[in-house]
Amino acid sequence: MLSRVVLSTTSTVAPSLKNAAFLSPGVLQATRTFHTGQPHLAPVPPLPEYGGKVRYGLIPEEFFQFLYPKTGVTGPYVLGTGLILYALSKEIYVISAETFTAMSLIGIMVYGIKKYGPSVAEFADKLNEQKLAQLEEVKQASIQQIQNAIDMEKSQQALTQKRHYLFVVQREKETVAKCIADLKLLAKKAQAQPVM
Amino acid sequence: MNENLFTPFMVPTFLGLPAVVPIILFPTLLFPTSKHLITNRLIIIQRNLVQLIMKQMMTIHSTKGQTWSLMLMSLIIFIAATNLLGLLPHSFTPTTQLSMNLAMAIPLWAGTVITGLRFKTKNSLAHFLPQGTPTPLIPMLVVIETISLFIQPVALAVRLTANITAGHLLMHLIGSATLALLTASFLATSLTLVLLVLLTILEMAVALIQAYVFTLLVSLYLHDNT
Repeated sequence: MLSRVVLSTTSTVAPSLKNAAFLSPGVLQATRTFHTGQPHLAPVPPLPEYGGKVRYGLIPEEFFQFLYPKTGVTGPYVLGTGLILYALSKEIYVISAETFTAMSLIGIMVYGIKKYGPSVAEFADKLNEQKLAQLEEVKQASIQQIQNAIDMEKSQQALTQKRHYLFVVQREKETVAKCIADLKLLAKKAQAQPVM
Repeated sequence: MNENLFTPFMVPTFLGLPAVVPIILFPTLLFPTSKHLITNRLIIIQRNLVQLIMKQMMTIHSTKGQTWSLMLMSLIIFIAATNLLGLLPHSFTPTTQLSMNLAMAIPLWAGTVITGLRFKTKNSLAHFLPQGTPTPLIPMLVVIETISLFIQPVALAVRLTANITAGHLLMHLIGSATLALLTASFLATSLTLVLLVLLTILEMAVALIQAYVFTLLVSLYLHDNT
């Protein structure tokens, strides 16, 4: 599902990628193979992101593709009409009181889904994205905190370096200078001695 | 046209086996759970709805009352799902059977009463006498309040049964009337429209769940908090 959220954000950012996304699940569907070789539990084979495409909510798209080479576009519809009329004329399906109940119920459901479907789906996606955004914010805050700690540590180290320079190195310089001065004095004294 | 109108409400058996048990258990298939953080749209919407209902219903209770949240939430989800699935044609609704509704109402009501009597005996017994009654009326009023207490579970069960059964029956009758008038071509379209409107109103059977759980809730509230 994470990839669906990623896909929805990328479709707003790069519209040219949207078509590519719709091709890949179908390709994945076609390349699914069953019963080849030994069954193994890991690695788990990747499941498709979206289900198979369905027309009129009931009939898979593959059925229309299956009939297309022989009967063209109208084939499945003629078959469907024939089946329905056959069932009605032979009273395999009897029109009763419940037929009207079913008709009104299905009518209301289709109307409701067509009208409110996309907005409800958007709302659900928004909830998901909100959850992700919250966690992302926590992660970013944590990273920022650590970065700040690193910077502070670096500045502290720089301060100690300065101190090191100030106190140790300076003192070394002073002692070396003192040493040189002492040696010069000694040399002068030593020079003065043989004169005596 | 001597149709047996009882047939939608007969408890279904299949080859002598009670098929009603899978029918009662079926709504559990419609509410999936997931161990992932980011789930699909169905689970998100269902979770959101349950959160909404729970916030609406359980915030008025004290801590002790909120221990009932799981029970009440599953109750409302079950009744809502069962009633909505009963709207499909040729389906059986378990909540049309008085036996099942009594089996739901009596234990829950008895639970609230016993909880109230056990932890706040004086308070719950004081419910039998409303405030500010004139003294001569007290004996009669105590009897009346006792009767109203004991009628609560019966009222809960019968309310649910009667509403759902009446709705189903009405839909069936109006459907058959439409069928009969179709040959006469007389007001058939207007009757189908009436059926449509009635169906949407019947989908307010979900509101009945609200009524069911709410009345139960009110009684729990009264017994625990007051």
